[in-house]
Amino acid sequence: MALILIRFSPSKPKKGELVKVSVVVRHPMEPGTRKDENGQIIPANYITELEVAHGGERVAHVNPGRGVSANPLFAFMIKAEPGEVTVRYTDTAGETGEKSKTLKVAE
Amino acid sequence: MNRRGFLKRAGLAGAALAASRLAPAWAQAATVPTVEEVQDIEHLNGGLMEVLGIDFSKLEPSDQVTINAPEIAESGANVPVEIVSELAPSEVRGIHCFVDKNPFPHIFSMSLGPKAAQTYFATRIRIGETAPVRVVVETADGRYLLASHVTRVTVGGCG
Repeated sequence: MALILIRFSPSKPKKGELVKVSVVVRHPMEPGTRKDENGQIIPANYITELEVAHGGERVAHVNPGRGVSANPLFAFMIKAEPGEVTVRYTDTAGETGEKSKTLKVAE
Repeated sequence: MNRRGFLKRAGLAGAALAASRLAPAWAQAATVPTVEEVQDIEHLNGGLMEVLGIDFSKLEPSDQVTINAPEIAESGANVPVEIVSELAPSEVRGIHCFVDKNPFPHIFSMSLGPKAAQTYFATRIRIGETAPVRVVVETADGRYLLASHVTRVTVGGCG
């Protein structure tokens, strides 16, 4: 399973403040158009679905395509409320990944 | 002249020589071309029809959608793109991104949920050659708002 990193900025926000959630997935995002050194097409393998939730409710749903970079970054804005941020993805190979991180909020 | 200085100058001279052989005028100066100079509506329409079922003529250019992306990217493999709109997330049905000249012009589609605090999304994309990046914001009332931003790419990101 690929590595997923979740970062909050600011990392310890005040309640109600805007928080940027940055997600990085370690994934090759092979577009299926590149060739290896023997001239063989490298088969496509990219993330097709990525879902982000905060406290069990949806922040965003992303359908990336072949044009999204390798080891992709996705960033969203949420309001600072204590709760878990969860990221789930599925790629064209049917692999899935999931990661959660708790957002801590200063009163 | 030391080795480092020599290589640097040789590299610059080589780049200048390479640039002078390219046909378009914008490629010779260190400027960013306009959308019209590098667009490919016909190719873009393929992606638009496939994803949205409409063509370019149905898109409304709008200043309610902003694309923050570099004007010049050394590598097209990893170009940061940030999309911001003053529209509330509840007014937005979807955000779609295309690049006119990529082999597959559709880059991504996304939608915001109830926990999105702003109409904001950032990612990094591949740009095959200098072309407009298009962001289409589909509104809840059925309009398709368009923003365009040209990123000049020195080394393509699809090969």
